[in-house]
Amino acid sequence: MKGILLLAALVLSLSASDTKFDLGEKIYTQTCVSCHGVNGKAQVDLEFVVKPRSLQTSILDEEQSYNIIKKGSHYWGSAADIMPSFESVYDDKELRAVSYYVSKKFNPNAKKRVVAEYAKSDLIPKEKLSKMHKRGAKIYKRNCSWCHGLTGKGDGEATRNPEKSIFPYDLGKTLLTKKQMFLYAKHGGKFWGTDKNDMPGWSRKYDDYTLKSVVFYIEETFRKK
Amino acid sequence: MKTILKTLLISLAIAASANAANHLVDQKGKTFIPHALTVAVGDTITFKNSDPFAHNAYTDDEANEFDIGMQAAGAENKVTVKAAGTFSVECAIHPNMLLEVTAK
Repeated sequence: MKGILLLAALVLSLSASDTKFDLGEKIYTQTCVSCHGVNGKAQVDLEFVVKPRSLQTSILDEEQSYNIIKKGSHYWGSAADIMPSFESVYDDKELRAVSYYVSKKFNPNAKKRVVAEYAKSDLIPKEKLSKMHKRGAKIYKRNCSWCHGLTGKGDGEATRNPEKSIFPYDLGKTLLTKKQMFLYAKHGGKFWGTDKNDMPGWSRKYDDYTLKSVVFYIEETFRKK
Repeated sequence: MKTILKTLLISLAIAASANAANHLVDQKGKTFIPHALTVAVGDTITFKNSDPFAHNAYTDDEANEFDIGMQAAGAENKVTVKAAGTFSVECAIHPNMLLEVTAK
């Protein structure tokens, strides 16, 4: 009897997730496919100021994808309003379903990839912990502020170029975790699915301690308000 | 005598400056072109931005320290090489850009 109940529960749970997946697929096919493509790689012919990122190599996990789909990328700090908010288009169940579909279909190992990449990074020696803010501030001002601005709002000098070809994030609003920010700075945007390499990888120039210090500075200065 | 010396010094300075060469370094495709340069002390290097976005060029070399600041698309900036030695020039915005300068 217990076995039958367990089996029934398992079948019900599987069918519920199938339904969620199917609903997500339906919405994705209706709405998302025109920008992100059938395979999620964003290989579409449309002209974009900022091309959609590949969902296959995105750094975002399912919950973060849900938040981006719900509120749109501008809400989370993107200077380009290309990824719109869908909260007035779909109800919460539908938004959950499409983020579930996107994560399971295109990027089921996103979290594992972040964990694995971070595990490869160097630990910060104890004696350097107290110097992280100063080191991070120096490097942020020297390199990052050109695009992200001295206040982290994405309004640095380089964005005032008449060509307006870059759209840096407001670092006070990004939903990336500290580990994700470090990995984004280390490997650059292209590694994590963006089409252009506007956010370059800094691993040639700086060691892990320095890049973690920059993230520490960003966290302390722009996100702890 | 003093006037003659003064005139001589000024003439030497003018002659030296007339002999100084200018070296053009293009910033194109997020690359310094050329990526290595041999110059003489007193020469100038003109950085030209041929990309459609902003660049920068700086060195932390103590004897030749400079930072041209933000360089808009199409802009040119000139710096003078002050001392002999080898130093690296980088763009603060694009970390893979590297120029090696040897000053003799």
